[in-house]
Amino acid sequence: MNRLLLALVVAVIPCLCGAAVDDYFQGEVWSKVGAQSCLECHKSGGDAESSKFLLQDPAREKTPGSAVSYNLAAFTKMAVARKGGQSRLLVKAIGGLGHGGEEVLKPDSTAYRILEEFVRRSDAQVTTANPARDAPSFFANIAMLDNRRLLRRVTLSLAARLPMSEELVVVEKQGLPAFGPILDALMKEEAFYQRLAEAFNDIFLVRGYDDGAESALSYEHFSMTRHWTEKHDLNQIADEKERQKARYKLADDYREALLREPLELINYIVRNERPFTEIVTADYIMVSPYTSRGYGNHEELRERFINPDDPFEYIPVRLDSLKNRTGRDHQQSETGFYPHAGMLSIFQYLRRYPTTETNRNRLRTRMFYQQFLGVDILELAARVQDAAAVTAKYEIPTMQAAECVVCHRTLDPVAGLFQDYYSLEGVYGPRKEGWFKDMFSPGFEGEELPASQRWRALQWLGERTAQDPRFATTMVEHVYYIVTGRKTLLPPKAIDDPLFEARQRAYQAQHREVERIAARFTETNFNLKAVFKEWIISAFYRADGNSTTAANPERRAELADIGLARMLIPEQLERKVNAIFGKPWGHLNDPEYALLYGGIDSKEVTERAADPSGAMGAIQRTLANDVACKNVPSDFAMEASKRKLFPGIEPDVLPGESPESDERIRETIIHLHELILGRYESIESPEVERTYSLFAGILSDAEERFGIETVENYSCRGAGEERVKDSHYTVRAWRGVVTYLLRQRDFLYE
Amino acid sequence: MAGLGVAAPIWWPDVAQAGEEHPYEGPYYVVFNASGGWDTTYLMDPKGVGEINRLYKEGDILTKGNHKFAPTAAHIQAGMSNEAFFTEFGSELLVVNGIDYSVNNHSPGARYMATGKLDSLAYPTFAALVAACKGPGCPLSFLTFGNYSNTGNLVAMSRIPYLPSLQKIANADSIEGQMRSPYHDDFVVDRIERALKEQTDAELSKMVLPRIERAESMLYAAQLNSKALQRVTPYIPKEIPKARLSQQAEIALASFKAGVCVSANLSIGQFDSHANNDADQMKLLPEFLEGITYLVRRAEELNIRDKLVIIVQSEMGRTPTYNKGNGKDHWSIGSIMFMGAGIRGNRVIGATDEKQFSVPIDAGTLQLDKESGVRVRPEHLHTALREFAGIDAHSMSKQFPLVVPEKEKLQGLWG
Repeated sequence: MNRLLLALVVAVIPCLCGAAVDDYFQGEVWSKVGAQSCLECHKSGGDAESSKFLLQDPAREKTPGSAVSYNLAAFTKMAVARKGGQSRLLVKAIGGLGHGGEEVLKPDSTAYRILEEFVRRSDAQVTTANPARDAPSFFANIAMLDNRRLLRRVTLSLAARLPMSEELVVVEKQGLPAFGPILDALMKEEAFYQRLAEAFNDIFLVRGYDDGAESALSYEHFSMTRHWTEKHDLNQIADEKERQKARYKLADDYREALLREPLELINYIVRNERPFTEIVTADYIMVSPYTSRGYGNHEELRERFINPDDPFEYIPVRLDSLKNRTGRDHQQSETGFYPHAGMLSIFQYLRRYPTTETNRNRLRTRMFYQQFLGVDILELAARVQDAAAVTAKYEIPTMQAAECVVCHRTLDPVAGLFQDYYSLEGVYGPRKEGWFKDMFSPGFEGEELPASQRWRALQWLGERTAQDPRFATTMVEHVYYIVTGRKTLLPPKAIDDPLFEARQRAYQAQHREVERIAARFTETNFNLKAVFKEWIISAFYRADGNSTTAANPERRAELADIGLARMLIPEQLERKVNAIFGKPWGHLNDPEYALLYGGIDSKEVTERAADPSGAMGAIQRTLANDVACKNVPSDFAMEASKRKLFPGIEPDVLPGESPESDERIRETIIHLHELILGRYESIESPEVERTYSLFAGILSDAEERFGIETVENYSCRGAGEERVKDSHYTVRAWRGVVTYLLRQRDFLYE
Repeated sequence: MAGLGVAAPIWWPDVAQAGEEHPYEGPYYVVFNASGGWDTTYLMDPKGVGEINRLYKEGDILTKGNHKFAPTAAHIQAGMSNEAFFTEFGSELLVVNGIDYSVNNHSPGARYMATGKLDSLAYPTFAALVAACKGPGCPLSFLTFGNYSNTGNLVAMSRIPYLPSLQKIANADSIEGQMRSPYHDDFVVDRIERALKEQTDAELSKMVLPRIERAESMLYAAQLNSKALQRVTPYIPKEIPKARLSQQAEIALASFKAGVCVSANLSIGQFDSHANNDADQMKLLPEFLEGITYLVRRAEELNIRDKLVIIVQSEMGRTPTYNKGNGKDHWSIGSIMFMGAGIRGNRVIGATDEKQFSVPIDAGTLQLDKESGVRVRPEHLHTALREFAGIDAHSMSKQFPLVVPEKEKLQGLWG
């Protein structure tokens, strides 16, 4: 019986004859029923936490495998317990015995039949076995990327440059072990931190708030200083227009410096190899000479800056607790300092995710869970039979209706921890009437906030977040997103899907890797660089091809998310052009163009396009045409030793003239393939032959065309340059070759 | 719960067929989204009883044909009143009231209304699905201006934020978009295209991973199909309208008219009127209706009005009572409107009762049936929409099945 047929049979009659009980438990009971239908309520902090059937969330286990063993025992106990001759597990699942969650499974459902089979097995006390022991490796028959190409991918992705020759030598000699030291050095380069900030903004979207960057500094506390650029003394500039221009620049730099602040916290932590848990616990913020003027503490910090006039030099600073401009309602603080809690208490972050009268900080909480613990509370919200009736039936549905409580018991206590930031603009300002009584009281995952911690509630939350195992896995998943452009897989839900087993295997394989790297992350005292290093050498990052044809639908489903194939974002594409040609294209730095090319604005458009639309295809064509136009004639115009593209050939070398000329053309093509595509081709390669044919074919066509100009296109000359002579049409033919290469996946994708 | 993942890719275009598509000639599908949650009692499901509406009473409710609607002309500063809207379009409008969104939150509500599936992050929106089925080779097959826009990995999503953006991408092979100044001679372009086709075929003939195979195909199709964008140029208006929806409408219409687009997701936000319901709704609903009207009138001028299928929706309704302030909170019951080719207008299906609860309907007769009727949910509407668009049997639709029992399928919804 092949695997597909077996899967179909399993979907209908869940009987894996001969499989052992915990094999069956993990593969069937837990993944298809327990994790999907029971865990949400029957866990600590869940709506059914006081029931006798209490489960452990594997995402929060501190010892690998402990949750599965615990949950197996809990399920077995329920399975063998009887009420009226029937298994309590089965009766409860269909809403009997006063099950608080009412009917969770239909009696004719696949999930129910799985439980029936589990009860039968539990009664028979079938012995255990390890299901994974004999499973073939997930990456069996998958080819990995050549190390030289891996190096190019990494240097371009993380440092916006091509590999250095000495790095290539080391990688060729030592293989994968060489990547550790290379990455250590690369992660000290400034370009890495530009990419890091950009990538974490994709996750936190913290640059995307309205009303000007300085609106993050509340009027109540910074009214005298937040608009400092308007009154800053520029009298040293005599000309009024120039002075005004300088003031505009001052304001622009100040705003940009404010927007960068939260992301500079990430850069500071990573650059100094501090525990990345500081993203939720840091007792400081990053401040620049310009932003410190906004906070009003520039003079006391002035000596600490290397250059007090650099808008973008950042240092860690503890702010004093906030003083209200009215002289009353000052922020309470036992230390006298603002209770910083990393990103959680940064003004820009709070401003980005403000609250409303009815939202009551729940948006913030949702984002907190999503961004720091990897839990999306709302995305998979359970269907309510009649949500309107529930809303009308209960006085406080979020505390009384089981359908609502299931999420709000988790959500609302954390919302209460943000209560000091209730000002509707998103800045500091407690609710005048005190925090809401018709919400679950402030706390985190079942633990109430002690009154003594009230003034530092976000610090209290940050400390717990840092200790939560989900924090480490979530940060590992963030780095996976940064290096691959994709989010990690969700566990499959459709248990009747014939490909469920394959999708489950794909999810489990990836999840095991996430957990492995999270363990390494923890061992290194949460050094985020370790996570980058682990992902880079992981098979998930290096998988590049099949060594056998994967015609089997199950295997194809397993491999569906494997392989990088990531379209470069506009910013990365510009940097790649710059790395290869020595200057950027420029157009994709225009926000409108960047949006057209699938970019984000951090406000309305917050997800990058994963696939190229026709509009993006058009931009790729334009880019290829224009970059070739701007660089090929200019390159030929330089002396050969200074050229990037054509150091070994002149425009008068024509194909078919001699074996030597043909060889020089092919060597040039090999050079272009390596430079632009990162491909290392041999002279006999079919790709080189194809490019050679293109070059020769263009020249052949040109020869037959009457009246062609003998100089390059007017628009393709560089600034201040003459039109390049092109009597043989070779410059234009090479431009055609470069255009062809720039339109390929190896250039446009990572 | 594990990480916030996405569905794996499952489809890609056939390289052999890329670029061979003729201009798409309709129907053109437009989904208007009132993002944030509209107050249906100030539009097509008027109440005026209890404490539901402060701006009018039950006796003030107006009618046009079979439609009942809230009077708004006296309360708006700008935009289009209900009175004007129903007068102009009542005979074409199909309204479904009493839809049960099942949830009270923006994100799942928007996803559910857009896809017909609540408990999956993988499903495509109807607009994306119909674009993938009917115009996979169109360069801007699925246009979106916001709201939930998942494609199910079936088709690329296109964002064209501003009208001038269309001009920028229309002539990619010409210097600064000027047709008279090509970058390359025509024979060079031909050679490049042929070489790229050969190179793509060679890549795909290798034993590559499914994702890489898909990326290669998508890239090739996107570049080749983008040539058709040249056809958009004549339809880009010289004057850019000021209103948000009108700008989106012009981009969509130029793309429809050029045959490069199948569906468009148009959206304006800020309907989430927790603080000041009546003022907010009286500002936004007229703007919304004006946007719909703009699209239809401009489509008339472009001679494609009879090819439009328009869906007007939101992700939730507003509560039947005001909160402690002047706002209204989320309500899981609401309405949807349809008009266009193949839809019989002047009809209202379903209802809410005096407390704004959903009244079930008999799926066979579409009449109200409180005792044994069906609570109309998004999957019922989407099942009907897929049938109406003729894509219910398409292999892509079958990859994303909607489970609606036969007896619950809405019979004759479109008239």
